[in-house]
Amino acid sequence: MKNGHDISHHDSALLHVTGRSVYINDMQVSEQLLYGRVFYSTQAHARIKSFNLEKAKKLNGVAAVLSAKDIPGENQVGPVIRDEVCLADGKVECYGQAVFLVAAVDDETAYQACRLIEIEYEPLPAVTDIETAMGKRALLLPERKIETGDVDRAFTVAGNTVEGVLKTGAQEHWYLETQTSLCIPGEGNEMKVFASTQHPSETQAVVAEVLGVRRHEVTVEMKRMGGAFGGKETQGNHIAAWAALLARATGCPVKIHLFRDDDQIITGKRHPFLSKYKAAYTSEGKITALDVELNADGGCANDLSMPIMERAMFHTDNAYYIPNLRVVGKILKTNHPSNTAFRGFGGPQGMAVIETVIDRIARQLKKDAAEIRKLNFYGAKSDNVTHYGQVVENNRLELLFNKLLERSDYRKLKRETEAFNRENEFLKKGLALTPVKFGISFTTSFLNQAGALVNIYQDGTVLISHGGTEMGQGLHTKMVEVASSLLGISKEFIRISATDTSKVPNTSATAASSGSDLNGMAVADAIGKIIRRLSEFLSEKYADKIHGSKKPFVFKDDFVTHPDLSGFKLAFPELIREAYLNQISLSATGFYKTPDIYFDREKGKGKPFHYYAFGMSVSQVLIDTLTGSHKILKTFILHDVGNSINPRIDKGQVEGGFIQGVGWCTTEEIKWDDDGRLLTFSPDTYKIPGVKDIPEEFHVELLENVPNPGTIKNSKAVGEPPFMHAFSVWLAIKDAVSAVGEHRFEPDFQIPATNEMILQSVEKIRKLQKGKRNL
Amino acid sequence: MPVQQSIRFILDDQVVELDFQQSGQYTPVTTVLNYLRSLPGHKGVKEGCGQGDCGACTVVLAEPDGRGGLSYKAVNSCLIFLPMIHGKQLITVENINEEDKDHHPVLHPVQLALVQHDGTQCGYCTPGMVASMFALYKNHRNPAKEVVEDALSGNLCRCTGYRSIVDAALDACKVKDNDHFSRNKEQVIEKLDALYRNTETIVIQTGNHTYLKPFTMTEALKLRRENPDALMITGATDVALLKTKKHLHLPKILDLSGLDELKLILEDHHRIVIGAGTTMEEIREYCISRLPALAGILHVFGSLQIRNMATMGGNLMSASPIGDTLPLLIALHAKVRLLGNNKQRDLPVEDFITGYRQTDIHADELPALILIPKPKKNVIIRSYKLSKRTDLDISTVSACFRMVLTKENKVREIDIVYGGMADRPKRAAAAELVLKDELWSRALVERAANQLEKAFQPLSDARAAADTRMIMARNLLLKFWLETGRDDLNEKKETD
Repeated sequence: MKNGHDISHHDSALLHVTGRSVYINDMQVSEQLLYGRVFYSTQAHARIKSFNLEKAKKLNGVAAVLSAKDIPGENQVGPVIRDEVCLADGKVECYGQAVFLVAAVDDETAYQACRLIEIEYEPLPAVTDIETAMGKRALLLPERKIETGDVDRAFTVAGNTVEGVLKTGAQEHWYLETQTSLCIPGEGNEMKVFASTQHPSETQAVVAEVLGVRRHEVTVEMKRMGGAFGGKETQGNHIAAWAALLARATGCPVKIHLFRDDDQIITGKRHPFLSKYKAAYTSEGKITALDVELNADGGCANDLSMPIMERAMFHTDNAYYIPNLRVVGKILKTNHPSNTAFRGFGGPQGMAVIETVIDRIARQLKKDAAEIRKLNFYGAKSDNVTHYGQVVENNRLELLFNKLLERSDYRKLKRETEAFNRENEFLKKGLALTPVKFGISFTTSFLNQAGALVNIYQDGTVLISHGGTEMGQGLHTKMVEVASSLLGISKEFIRISATDTSKVPNTSATAASSGSDLNGMAVADAIGKIIRRLSEFLSEKYADKIHGSKKPFVFKDDFVTHPDLSGFKLAFPELIREAYLNQISLSATGFYKTPDIYFDREKGKGKPFHYYAFGMSVSQVLIDTLTGSHKILKTFILHDVGNSINPRIDKGQVEGGFIQGVGWCTTEEIKWDDDGRLLTFSPDTYKIPGVKDIPEEFHVELLENVPNPGTIKNSKAVGEPPFMHAFSVWLAIKDAVSAVGEHRFEPDFQIPATNEMILQSVEKIRKLQKGKRNL
Repeated sequence: MPVQQSIRFILDDQVVELDFQQSGQYTPVTTVLNYLRSLPGHKGVKEGCGQGDCGACTVVLAEPDGRGGLSYKAVNSCLIFLPMIHGKQLITVENINEEDKDHHPVLHPVQLALVQHDGTQCGYCTPGMVASMFALYKNHRNPAKEVVEDALSGNLCRCTGYRSIVDAALDACKVKDNDHFSRNKEQVIEKLDALYRNTETIVIQTGNHTYLKPFTMTEALKLRRENPDALMITGATDVALLKTKKHLHLPKILDLSGLDELKLILEDHHRIVIGAGTTMEEIREYCISRLPALAGILHVFGSLQIRNMATMGGNLMSASPIGDTLPLLIALHAKVRLLGNNKQRDLPVEDFITGYRQTDIHADELPALILIPKPKKNVIIRSYKLSKRTDLDISTVSACFRMVLTKENKVREIDIVYGGMADRPKRAAAAELVLKDELWSRALVERAANQLEKAFQPLSDARAAADTRMIMARNLLLKFWLETGRDDLNEKKETD
């Protein structure tokens, strides 16, 4: 790594390791602080026949018990479509739906008050699995379609076809910091909201709406989140709204910090998908047509289901050129908590389908799946238009493929895997190479905007506010680097303030991997304004000395110089002081909108993405077919982040995103029972990866010398794309299972590939094998 | 009999005396986590799950190790009741660094390494990571990667993917230990020794809580007889969940963790004797060479934080169908020694557990010792635990097999005990019968496995479906054969 010594560590690292970072639950609040608690439904679908809150209200230490009728504003938290109530009113539509709110002097009292609440339900028929919802055609919204070429015709002339159903599971975000909000009532209608939210502007809007006040009366401040991963894009709004209602009702500060199990039960998850697919391909393995129906379990309300489905549809091609492609997306209504954003935002669900198709084609043709993948990659000059009409520019797939084959010594690994499997009956190895092509931008085009506020104070220090939120991803660290390089001053003079709706208004969520892209440009815009003002001031002041030179003043190494002004060297703080005395404004707002992106939802065509991020990975695994356990032996990842603003941060995102994807693909299993109750509601049954679940050999490399045109410092977004490198692990496990039947049988396979699923799949192949032998 | 009504421990280099009656704010079942978070200076300690599954609340407990030094143990502060830290030094993330004269933090090697290796992202797991890494640092120089992973397997991180954290730990533990804890060791030992000298029973009574913590066996037996309704705890890693997860009222607790008589591991020609109050980690370390099958099971028992608190007596008393050590104790014909007033009984573990979380303990008895017959050299023992995640998970199915083969490769003795297949850890008697006196072959194993379906009707639950459990049970028997039916066999026969 070049210049490794001056690349910043995370700007909060020192605070983190000394336990001094402040999260909302750590804030010192006055003694009047009350603790809020949510009473939630224990029925998946029911009419509320009656309830009685009196006993709870009378408990010593209880300050308020609220129901839907106590909401002064609108009982609504739906972010896009207004179909999600803040508190259940008359009926409940999922297990875990908020019904009542309690505020008390401490957590335990609030808990005991909840126990005293009496409620009587009349159960209604509940839809608790996606198949039933499909059978009932219970759609949350009209279905969507994107189509290119002539799919039906392509199938009539097809040589080979492959057809099937793939199920991918839900995923719990498991941010270490559970949902938290602290609301402090001010004078009149004012409400100060501290919320662990990726979207402070929306939190502000939702709080204002439920309180029945105007947005300029609500301020949302967000310093840092203890992880979010999409789980605080909309879900954080709910907690803030609940805390705000309690704060308004009691006149006291109220904090809600969900207990882990409650968080798992109440909040939405990654959408489970049931995908039907059919593909046609040539005898070489070239895909000629793909017909996919994506069915998502949206839960009981829309939330962000439509943009999530849209992204899934945009990624059914992954890295492959498919001339005839039709994808239909349906969002089903079930009586589960409304599913929501999660790193990848539908992309992983869409890509899992085409990766399964390729894997199956390779097995049918008895070829290496990596070769089939290469054969189908988007071309650099031709075969480069996606099914939604966007040209795949700056395609790095071939470069990645060739480099990765070499780095991983893929062919040797392949031979070694095959040799091992010939010699072992019960232990099997598997190998897979998978690519990632991920579109960067909010697919709802208007969301691609950002704002910033840059203040320079008289001592030369800089305070930056921008619309992005810090959830651990290092956004603020990158923003400091951007500001430092533009102002030419050391990073120690620059701080990023908490994200605050009163400083930068009308922001978009920090989501879609776009935080640095959008906010970086907005910060640069603001700094550009200040630099222009300072330069004008200097040009006037030194007009007689620079004699009309058009060359700019240079801001570098904490000083300002000018190429035509030898001996002139002004320290940055001195410049600022002088500018102040000369009545120059040292504060500026910045704004950015991504240019030239659009998408016509009716036609299913457009250019929804500013650019694509690429990456590729190889994994080798070992499975024990008697226990169903697996071990990742080796993973090689090569990833494209353009010119990295901070390689340390980016590498951390790649590694962390990959392991989170591995969790989704292996041990993280969300199970609901037939009554719509979450069975895996706690970390004792819901298993995210631990330290021993990472690859024994783990190589991550960022592609070098690949500047990305038209972005901040020629970088690329990095938050979501690495998640999907986990497919190399998932399909390596499948390859190992397939080896049990010497690759003659297609294994039953889905996401997650738990030890249970592996065992069942192996068992089935063994039976098929026996059947064949007996014939 | 004089009693102590307050507890004392070291925090922030001071001996803290906590008198529950005076403080009002705390009860004896207040967790150490909630206590710390109520203080202004210890909010670095985080609640990530409140049930010992994530490690964000990890703190370190130091106590004299009996060899003139201090032992440092990482533990989950969310699962520890306040009186359990009496007589110990409580160390949190805030205590680990030093400060220069301007009060700027001077990082401890583990903290510095985490920064340098970019081992933090959102930072919420970090205080617990730092605590676990600190305990590792105090206990190991240049540890192997496996030791590092083991020390961190109780700490979940959702951001980094762990590689950077492991590298940081490996790096930090290369540095010679000369931190301020080493430099202040003598003073801490002196302070703690002073606390230990008082062996008067701790009796805390607040509102509707009674907490009894004796330090002698005589006193413990007396309290047990007088308070048969008191819930007995030692490490409380299971019982604490009743409070943190289920919010149950625990009116009366008898804490046996102060009894040094129950913290022992002894060995004679015939048996290994384990005190009921011995921690799982102490047992694991002891058994690595002496009883590898038990060490193996304990290696995947909870996390290091859990093993540092959990005891063999506790695992036995929980009598859970998925209690990790129980199949092995039954298969090895272990007995539990129960002490009552002026009497003792030795009961086979198999008979001691009478149903789902039920035991045959009498109202005046304490579990004192676990007596494990020492396996002769010709005894083959294997234990297995299947779970969704290998580490820090509860078993779906577990099993222990004990076998003696004849020179003719016939099964002379066989014990097959499964966990997770019935309401309690249970012997597969019908399968044993099939194997007995037969040639130890794959065909025989298949026949025995067929008996399992008659013997067990396992449940479907969040961990696995019933038929998967059955496949697992069958496969484990086959795996046992695979591991013993060929190479091992020859060695064993030679030593027969």
